[in-house]
Amino acid sequence: MASNDAGARRESASPLVVMEGVSKRFPGVLANDEVTIDLRKGEVHALIGENGAGKSTLMRVLYGLYPPDGGTIRVKGEVVKIASPRDAIALGIGMVHQHFVLVDPFTVAENVILGDEDGPILNTETAQRQVAQLAEAYGFEIDPAAAVEDLSVGEEQRVEILKALFRGVDILILDEPTAVLTPAETKELFENLRKLRGDGKTIVFISHKLDEVLAIADRITVLRRGAVVGETTPAETSKAKLAEMMVGRPVLFRLDKPQVEVGETVLRLDDLRGGRLQGLSLEVRAGEIVGVAGVEGNGQKELADSIMGLRPLEGGEVSLDGHDLRAMSTQEIRNSGVAFVPEDRHDQGLVLDMTIWENTVIGRHDDADYSSRRGVLFIKKMKELAVRLIAQFDVRTRSIESTARTLSGGNQQKLILARELETDPKLLLAAQPTRGLDVGAIEFVWSQILEQKAEGRAVLLISAELDEIYALSDRIVTLYEGRITGEYPPDAPADEVGRGMLGGKTPAEAR
Amino acid sequence: MATVEATTVRDTHRPEWVENIGGQLLALLTALGIAVLLGSVIVIAYGENPLVVYSAILSGSFGDANGLGYVLANAGPLIFSALAVSVCFKGGMFNIGVEGQFIVGMASASFAALTFTFLPAPLLVLSVLVFGVLGGMVWAAVPAILKVKTGAHEVVTTIMMNGIAASLVAWVIRGPLRYEDIGGGFNVNLRTDPFPDAAMIPDLGHFFGIASSARLSWVLPMAIVAAAVVWFIMRRMRLGYEARAVGASPGSARAAGISIGAVQVKLFLLSGALAGLVGIQQLFADQGFLPAGYEAGIGFTGIAVAFLGQNSPVGIVFAALLWGVLARGETSLQLETDVPREFIIILQGLLIMSVVVTYQVAKRRLFSRQLRRAAEVEDLHDAEASVDIEEAGEPGSSREVDR
Repeated sequence: MASNDAGARRESASPLVVMEGVSKRFPGVLANDEVTIDLRKGEVHALIGENGAGKSTLMRVLYGLYPPDGGTIRVKGEVVKIASPRDAIALGIGMVHQHFVLVDPFTVAENVILGDEDGPILNTETAQRQVAQLAEAYGFEIDPAAAVEDLSVGEEQRVEILKALFRGVDILILDEPTAVLTPAETKELFENLRKLRGDGKTIVFISHKLDEVLAIADRITVLRRGAVVGETTPAETSKAKLAEMMVGRPVLFRLDKPQVEVGETVLRLDDLRGGRLQGLSLEVRAGEIVGVAGVEGNGQKELADSIMGLRPLEGGEVSLDGHDLRAMSTQEIRNSGVAFVPEDRHDQGLVLDMTIWENTVIGRHDDADYSSRRGVLFIKKMKELAVRLIAQFDVRTRSIESTARTLSGGNQQKLILARELETDPKLLLAAQPTRGLDVGAIEFVWSQILEQKAEGRAVLLISAELDEIYALSDRIVTLYEGRITGEYPPDAPADEVGRGMLGGKTPAEAR
Repeated sequence: MATVEATTVRDTHRPEWVENIGGQLLALLTALGIAVLLGSVIVIAYGENPLVVYSAILSGSFGDANGLGYVLANAGPLIFSALAVSVCFKGGMFNIGVEGQFIVGMASASFAALTFTFLPAPLLVLSVLVFGVLGGMVWAAVPAILKVKTGAHEVVTTIMMNGIAASLVAWVIRGPLRYEDIGGGFNVNLRTDPFPDAAMIPDLGHFFGIASSARLSWVLPMAIVAAAVVWFIMRRMRLGYEARAVGASPGSARAAGISIGAVQVKLFLLSGALAGLVGIQQLFADQGFLPAGYEAGIGFTGIAVAFLGQNSPVGIVFAALLWGVLARGETSLQLETDVPREFIIILQGLLIMSVVVTYQVAKRRLFSRQLRRAAEVEDLHDAEASVDIEEAGEPGSSREVDR
């Protein structure tokens, strides 16, 4: 993946945009502290940093969403004042947000021209033709007549990018564009971005995924706590160096796997069928971590939900220490010793609008420790539990009375881990446990998962991140179209595992 | 830089519930202010003096003890009705059927009053209340079970159940509870026999020098107790805890092992029980019989009052009183000014709209303040954490935080 192939040519180009000494203060927080950064024509400029480092804020200032408190912005050499996204677009600056802003029932073309219509009468055919031409020019695969609600996330993102291109922008800001994409979609996005770069567009790539940054960026600017800590290029740096710049201390990407004697089978799945699952069989023993690798959408969510009793199965057996889990309710499954870290912590993990202490006890609130037989809650004990767990797991919050919504993603995940591991489970079922987390939080979550193994518990890890699978697993299995397609030792070459993830085919055959 | 105590995990700031309640009160007062101001514009456009109009409204309620008595007497049913709505709402459901549940509750309470006449007064009153509650629960159970078993949306089913309830009462009056004590010049098909005195809720107003015509009865204290009970259930009991989780995030509640269907049925039954007491004031403290065509609309007003009180039991009690003041103002408005009584309806509408707006603004501000503080805490922790690590020289280990 040679990314900075044309780097030398661009090196000499004069900056298109210069942000000089830009500060942005929110009450109590200095989000940007005299940040200076320049963007050149035809480059992919990665802006990296931990959550809250100020990368999105900086780009929102450039896009006219926040007025800066200090500093100047120059576009093509002239000092400009960008008071709104409209101003930004007029200057050729466009932004694609992390959460898309599309009208679902509208077609792709309608969404692209929305707000930029040509007169009061809508000419659908012209719009579709224009959008089709635009898409073709940049090699975007998309049907302008398709309704947005029928598109995949990756396609929706393409619509967002087309919206910006339709308005003639030269600088495209992408805020965490890969956070919502599957690996295949990420690859496609990168191809599109390279084409845009080749066409002289400038791309600002906001991310905290270091592998991706190294693969796509020409230049990398690192922010920490609102300030620029350095600027580098992929050739000059490495993942470890970038992580250290971001976090401010060395970060371990490979944690030591504890050596534990593997015990009896804890979880046994036999020929699970239903939904995407097409005869999935799997065993997890005490003291081992089994990593389920696979491209998302091959039955990962169905697998987790089936174990937890959240989805009816058409066939197959699920047993924990020989007890039939299929005959149990979710509550009984939890009580019999299954801890669950769901892939979507907002939809299945936390009740965001309830307080932290209410979230640390949910699932165990009917224990005799936390409520009486008649159903009266022991509030004081619940709060004591919360205070103890957030200290133990270093969940950073002002108060246990704050809602879970106020926590950062990493702290939300720590809260879930704290709650789930407190039950002394036999099995930890962790689905995409580090999705959307930054480097420091990932390290913490990984060390907690390894800790479970060290305690002799069984761990079933489901992850779309091959890195994560390798970092933690004792055995790797690949999931493809609802079936286990291969089993590998933890030191198996990645391309072998990758073949399993595509059902035993080579990438070329899979297409 | 913020002070050091912000780093402790324990609460050192004002507790958040103080901020919540303070914020809510401020929002309610602001909303009231906006509604009054907008109302003034309408009054001026009508060619009247807003001061005269508002003082007429207030004098209706606070001018003398009897006025206040009317307001308090009217608040009781509104509290029951709004509580019934709020209980379901907390669990993410709309009970539009409070009206039907309360009508059926009253039919069954009337049955008790006219049948168990052999009971002494306290027991007869008790059986009236129990039958009212049971009637409401039975009528609420139908949509609840349909929802859980078939997925039928409660809004549709409860509206349909309202229509059936009205017909049921009409049938009851011509059938099982048909007027027997012929005479007195009444149309026999329009009401039941009068209830025995022993079935009636005793008057409360005379303790405070309020005329018995105001009909201030023990229903108001009962309603306030009910509000306290609902608060306790929602905040201190498993059912309320599970209900709030189901209402706010069904997926997370389910993954935590909470049975959503069971919670929904329980909430609907509780809602129906409260609805079953809505008509007690009107029938058993005032009229003394069950009339035909018994549709008072209080079940629907309860939705507005629950909204005004933001579904909190305390808020509902105050909202019901406020609503009562406005309703009482209708009469005095007609007596003392030329402004039509419909002005009150406009004012109620304005009030609800201003509440919608101010609460949204207040909620957003509160949330952004919480977020900001959370960010401060994280920053401070980060600064500390990096120091800790330099000292310990061991990154990544899960260390116990001792402060």
